[in-house]
Amino acid sequence: MKRRELFKGVRPKFEPHMASPGVSRFTNALLRTQDNKEVRFYDDLIRGKQCVINFMYAECHGACPLVTANLLRAYRALKDRMGRDLFFYSITVKPNDDSPSALKHYAMTRKADVPGWYFLTGDSFDIETIRFRLFGMNHPGFDLDSAMHAGTLRIINDATNTWTAVEAFASQKAVLKHISWADPPKSYAERFAESMVRQDLIEKDMRKYGYRRDI
Amino acid sequence: MPKKKAPNQNKAAKKRAGTVSRRDVLKVGAAAGAVGFFAPNMMTSNKALAFDGPTPPAEPVLCATNPTNSPPTTPFRDDFTAPFPAIPQILFPRPTRLRNTGGGEADRAAHQRWTEFLPDVEYELEARAGLHTFHSDFSPSYIWGFNGKYPAPTVLNVYEHPTIVRFRNSLPTTTTTFGRNEISIHLHNGHTPSESDGFAGDFFGTGFWKDNHYPNTYAGYDAFPPHGDQREAMHSFWFHDHRAAFTANNNYLGLNGMYLVYDDKDPGHEFPTPGSLRLPNYYGITDFPLILGDKKFCATANGRTEIFNTPGGGVPGGDKWIVNGKIQPKLTVRRRKYRFRILATGVAKTWDLTLIKPDGSVGTMVVVATDANFLEHPIPVDAGANAGNSNSTTAPIVPGGLRVSVAERYDVIIDFAQFPAGSKVYLKENAPQFVGVASPDLLPSGLAIENVLMQFNVVNTEWWFPADTPAIPSTLTTYPPLPATDNTFEWQFVRDPPTVTPRLFKINNQVFDAEVPSHCILKDTTEEWLLNNNVGGSAWVHPVHIHFEEFRTLKRFVNGVEVPVPPLMSGRKDVMRLEAGQGALIKMQFRDFVGRYLIHCHNMGHEDAFMMVRWDIVPDAAGLAACQALMAENRKQLKARLEDEEVAD
Repeated sequence: MKRRELFKGVRPKFEPHMASPGVSRFTNALLRTQDNKEVRFYDDLIRGKQCVINFMYAECHGACPLVTANLLRAYRALKDRMGRDLFFYSITVKPNDDSPSALKHYAMTRKADVPGWYFLTGDSFDIETIRFRLFGMNHPGFDLDSAMHAGTLRIINDATNTWTAVEAFASQKAVLKHISWADPPKSYAERFAESMVRQDLIEKDMRKYGYRRDI
Repeated sequence: MPKKKAPNQNKAAKKRAGTVSRRDVLKVGAAAGAVGFFAPNMMTSNKALAFDGPTPPAEPVLCATNPTNSPPTTPFRDDFTAPFPAIPQILFPRPTRLRNTGGGEADRAAHQRWTEFLPDVEYELEARAGLHTFHSDFSPSYIWGFNGKYPAPTVLNVYEHPTIVRFRNSLPTTTTTFGRNEISIHLHNGHTPSESDGFAGDFFGTGFWKDNHYPNTYAGYDAFPPHGDQREAMHSFWFHDHRAAFTANNNYLGLNGMYLVYDDKDPGHEFPTPGSLRLPNYYGITDFPLILGDKKFCATANGRTEIFNTPGGGVPGGDKWIVNGKIQPKLTVRRRKYRFRILATGVAKTWDLTLIKPDGSVGTMVVVATDANFLEHPIPVDAGANAGNSNSTTAPIVPGGLRVSVAERYDVIIDFAQFPAGSKVYLKENAPQFVGVASPDLLPSGLAIENVLMQFNVVNTEWWFPADTPAIPSTLTTYPPLPATDNTFEWQFVRDPPTVTPRLFKINNQVFDAEVPSHCILKDTTEEWLLNNNVGGSAWVHPVHIHFEEFRTLKRFVNGVEVPVPPLMSGRKDVMRLEAGQGALIKMQFRDFVGRYLIHCHNMGHEDAFMMVRWDIVPDAAGLAACQALMAENRKQLKARLEDEEVAD
């Protein structure tokens, strides 16, 4: 199976949420990675996984490299999870110009050719469909505007059927926080422990500044 | 409380399985043990009883695709009613100034000025899944509501009686809807300490609760002892979820409700008591919330008529207009004055409402309050000379129409004494909805059934019904004087025009970050803010909302040219509708409390797309320096991120 080839090492079970729209929403388009491997968009990339998706193109000298740089910072912070239960997908909006090797070059020059991060190209109609399905807001002002995607990272967890997004230039803290909003559900005990950590920070803030400045 | 009493996160799942959870067993024990001491009180606290609510309904089976239209509904089949009032109760465990960690409270800062505003009324509202029938032709729909209800129970309160509302999160741990089971409840637009203000980043998950402390005091508490400045009175508040990035989703599913505060001017009755304006004031009898929303429905295989939604699909525009939880309801009215507290809950729709008389002509609605604040003088909105009283700066869209943007409230008085008994009067919305069934009643000429929001059936006043109130006073209140300005600031609302990539909704070039303020304000100061939506190509409408205190509009601009302030914008407000090219100069004060507050577009789609920023009220000069240092640091980091192509090379 292709999926087996792609994801070596410890593989969690990738089970979709019972309400996941599956291929009917995501499509199962055939895409190619920067290593020229064929992947199915839903079956191999989305199904049961948590992922961060953005659109870019290789010859882009405006926002794309900055977004890639910001994503790379998030990648470094999340290194332990990358390629196991968390994936980054950068999809080209100019699939006719961007061959897998062009994407490979883009990724390598930006030190982003790393496990768990795929740069994807494919058929232009398929990619336009995917863009529409991922960033579609039922609003022509958003949906017909192919530049809209560039500033937004789409965050999806198919195992929990969670969708959210974050601005691509947000601080690393904010990007990580938004990605965590799509994390698998935590137990009450885990969330209680987190709330205790926050409580400590809140009280530290109150003592230091007289109000909650940082947390 | 011992820690093991902390709410069980699997509660919903276990209940669904029909078993009694450990928590229920514990609660039986707790209740039994406590009854000896607190027997009378325990009876009022539903949390202390063994079974704290109905079994949550099964998660909905969602429609795969957006239906062309909702199923048809018969007009005027259901009754228009006010949501049931929330019942005050004695909370257990007792509310505390500090977080009650052992009792299961979510993390928060200590309540400000707790001993000055010791709560003497307490409520509990539990966010949970429930079923609501939006129309008798429909099967029940799955909603998220407070105490499982949509609309939520209305909190009826009195000024100078500080209140705790304990918001408990019992939403399902996993859902098939696009809702997010974390909540942060904002009282719009309470003069509320920051830790109880429902700041968008302070959400808490299933199994936790949080006490929101509402002082129910007039703004200017310090400057106008002992109770604050009564000229700052507001009466029609609403509360709603404010969870960052999921506000639209959670509100669409139903997490909002009304919160009225009475005082001697607006006492909740119509007797001639000192100071009373004697407006129609019996809740649910002569004084109704009129809560507007739009939803789309689809009949699903599980036998329900579900609210259509798709994770990641944005919030769909509705084709059914919902009034107090019903579609095209009817209300029997006596030949007397009634008050309707109109509220648009969004998530995005702007309403243009007109009263249609039996002969098809436009009737008069007298606006007495804008965004919960009494106007100095009532403003009649009708088809004649007053058609220009629109709150839009440009000509009104509908002659005689009252334009209501998301989160705006307009208290209007309609005098049904002008109509003979047996006549039918209609409230019209300018945009048509989908009905699919012919009107059972002959409509006035020129009125299509698709435009009818609700129907009023006029009958004679029975001997037992409250007699009509006197004429509306020509002066309702006096606005507080505007103090000198200490500082000025400009907020620029932009959706990047087509020449700019990436395309984002921003305020002052910033998107929402809960940890970074965009403006720092010293407590007890007054500022003039210029709100602007005038960047070329950024042609979007933004109903701008500012938390904490009401503002006054000093000037209005269209494309930089000053225009007269429309009458309905001349009073005190907390939502400023900015259409493309428009701007406004407003004045605001920052008193009594400190902390983090928000300014944002209340189109919840825009809000969730990050069009929201934080501003801080700081207690002293040291706090101001710390706040400004954090802002400067953030600006530096953002600049680095935007110029930092080298990092990846």
